[in-house]
Order: sequence, then C-alpha cells, then structure tokens
Amino acid sequence: MASGSTIKCVAWDLDGTLWDEVAIERTDSALPQPTAEVLRAIDRLAERGVVSSVASRTDPTLLTALQQRDDLASRFVAPQLAWQDKSVSLRRISEELGIGTDALALVDDDAYERAEVRAALPEALVLAPEQVAGLLDSLPADPDTLTPEARARVRRYREEEQRKQAESAFTGSREEFLAWCRMRLRLRTAEAGDVARVAELAARTHRLNSSQLAPEAEEVAAALAQPQRWHVPVAELSDRFGAYGLIGAALVQREVAAEPDAWEIRLLALSCRVAGRGVARDFVRWIMDTARQAGAARVRLVLRPTDTNTELRILLRQCGLQAGGAWDEEGRAVLRRELVEPLPAYSPWLSRDEEGRA
Amino acid sequence: MNAATETYPYVEQTIRELLAEAVLTEPGELDHLPAETSLFAPEIGLESLSGMRLLAAVHRRFGVDVAAEDLNLDALESIAALTGFVATRVAEPPSDGP
Repeated sequence: MASGSTIKCVAWDLDGTLWDEVAIERTDSALPQPTAEVLRAIDRLAERGVVSSVASRTDPTLLTALQQRDDLASRFVAPQLAWQDKSVSLRRISEELGIGTDALALVDDDAYERAEVRAALPEALVLAPEQVAGLLDSLPADPDTLTPEARARVRRYREEEQRKQAESAFTGSREEFLAWCRMRLRLRTAEAGDVARVAELAARTHRLNSSQLAPEAEEVAAALAQPQRWHVPVAELSDRFGAYGLIGAALVQREVAAEPDAWEIRLLALSCRVAGRGVARDFVRWIMDTARQAGAARVRLVLRPTDTNTELRILLRQCGLQAGGAWDEEGRAVLRRELVEPLPAYSPWLSRDEEGRA
Repeated sequence: MNAATETYPYVEQTIRELLAEAVLTEPGELDHLPAETSLFAPEIGLESLSGMRLLAAVHRRFGVDVAAEDLNLDALESIAALTGFVATRVAEPPSDGP
C-alpha cells in the first residue's frame, strides 16, 4: 500500500466526508456546506504538493453544481461523481491526471467503500476521515523542501485537464494541434535555484530518462559550481494553457578523458508530461548546438535501456546517436554522434528562447 | 535458401504495412520506397511515438521484441534492416497472420 510520502492525489468522498449532509436529499438545488476542517486539510495538502479530487457515488448531474462553486471548483481536479464503485473512480482519476493508482489516496467515511477500494486497488492508500491528520503529519512539512513544480501541481493538473479536453475537441491534424497550442520552449543553463528541481527530475523520471543516474541536490550544485567541467542545461515549457515549469534537464560533462574533443551527456531527464511534442528532441538538438559552438567534435551519451525508456532510445537513434562499442556489465553503453553531420531539425511547432549559452 | 530468406517477402510486406499504420499514413503509401530507406527519413518520418507503435505492432504480429533484443536499435536503420532482424527470428509466418 502507498505511504504518505508517495501520495500525489487524495480523492475525497462527498456525503458524510466533505460535508455532513447527503447532497441529493436536499430539497433545494444548492450543495451542502463543506466542513471547514476538510477544506483546511485540502489546502494543507496542496501546500505539500498533493492535489485533491472527488470520488463520490452519487448523481452525476451534481458535477455542474460542484463546478459552479468557486471554493470547490478551485480545490478539485478531475472530480468523479457517478453511480460506480470508488475503485472505478480512482482508476479514472489516475488516467486523467497521468499518475499511478499507487499515488492515490481515498478518504471516505463509509467502511464499505474503503473495503471495496482496498480489495480492488491494494496499491492505493485508504483512509477514514479521522486518519487525514496522520497523513498530513507524514508529509514533509517544510515548504522550502518543496520545488515550485510540486507546489504548483494543483494548477498544472487543471491545465492538463483543459489540454486533454481541447485536444479531443480539436479537428485538425496532430501537428496543427501542436501549433495551435503555441508552445514555447525556454532553453538555458541551470542556476542555483534550479538545483532541487534538477535532482527531482533525475530521481522521478523514467520514460524519458537516459541513464537513471540520480544525483543528490548537492552533486547538482557541485556540477553548477564547476562550469568549466560541467554543462547543466535545463528546459522550461509553456503553452496557451499555462506553464509546465522546468520539464527537462541534463548533466553534460565537457571533458572526457578518453575523448578530449567530445562532450558526454551523462544524464538526460525529461518529464513524461511533455512526451510526444518534440520537446525532448529539441532539447537534445540544443545540447548538440551548444557543444558544437564550444568546439566539440562529437557528443557522447551514456544510455542504460530499461523496460520504460524505449521511447527515448528511439528518439536518440532518430537524433543520430548510435552505440559503437560494447555494453558494460551494468547494461550501459556509450552512444556517439559526430557534430560535423547535419543536426536533427527543430520542431516547427515549437518556438524557442535560448539563453545562457555555455 | 534457408527458412529465414524464404520468409523475407512476407515479412517485408508486413513490415511496410505496420510501418504505414504506425506513421498514420495510408496502407500501400510506403510500398514504392526502396528497402534501404531510413525509417527516420522524411519519406517515412518515424519518430519516438510512432516508433513505439511500430515496435508494439511488430511484437504483436511476429512475437519479436525488437526493443529488448536489439539494444542498439540497429533494426530501425531501414525497412531492410528491420525486415532482416525480424525474418531471422521467425521461421515461418504465423498461421493466424493475414
């Protein structure tokens, strides 16, 4: 079962949990008043990077009323109001937010509902309302340890909902949709304020992660302090719906003893939220540009294939990075690409701001 | 002629079909391309997401897991390379094939 520190989203029951009444038994069309205690808990969770959703076995038409109440609409993402099992609702939330069911918690006053979710989704955390205080205590209380990305998670999940809706309603081609999104990619060298986020990306990404090298924040800071040895490029993405924040980072060694004219990408890590938009390819292309302008003859990249990073392997191959030598005993290989050859094209639908050239 | 080379025409034709499906183009649209065409060339335009679709389709159709068996992904070099990689691993077309 999930523990507090891995929870990204808490799904709240409504009747008897968020409020004391039963919404559909009211004679007027207004929703009951949520208890102040629960609203406070939701806000404290949000401060700790945990978003809230709704899993209610009730009349689906109540969703409209929920969305018209600012104090509720602003607090919940991907709310599920339906005559269905809570485990089904939790699966929907998991799909809509793109997070695993092991990162979900259900808070419900009904022992039957808790048992149903426990049986169907043993990986999820299941709590009675009185156990929420314990969950809050288990989360890191120091807001300074939270990265801006974790703190902004509620807003970002809401933007992601809007993106998904816009994409399914869009009638043109995929490329036309990407262009319509007006994506801007900001490419720059990492600064001191990015250290925690770079370490977080390295530790938490899997699909778009080249080597699973997971440096501690101190090691990232040490690399930043040695710009003659290390280049630490980062990428931020925004589009018409909002800002994704810092979604890509790399650790690039500017000196390789074995090959003095090569730069070596020791780690490439991008959030899977930006997969399929050309962002990873443009980031790799920009690193190649930077290396070439600094006089490197080729780029090396340490690759460790896993069950989950095939997509990135295809992308690297597309960018012309190929393994020349043998795979080491840890399953790693060094890919290479000569920089005299034409570099892969930038995505036409992405506009770029480049700064902080190494 | 060994079993692998006998299956080449069938495998290559199927690969072309799976490839067309993966890059969301009409079936038959890639039939005129030389077998040496790079999958990443603009005529085909394979990229990471369509590449994932292609590898999944090849795995389903032929039972060959290219991602696991070809760490270098050299099989993605061209239509011919992918055909060769798959053909040497399937002795004969699956009976439930098209």
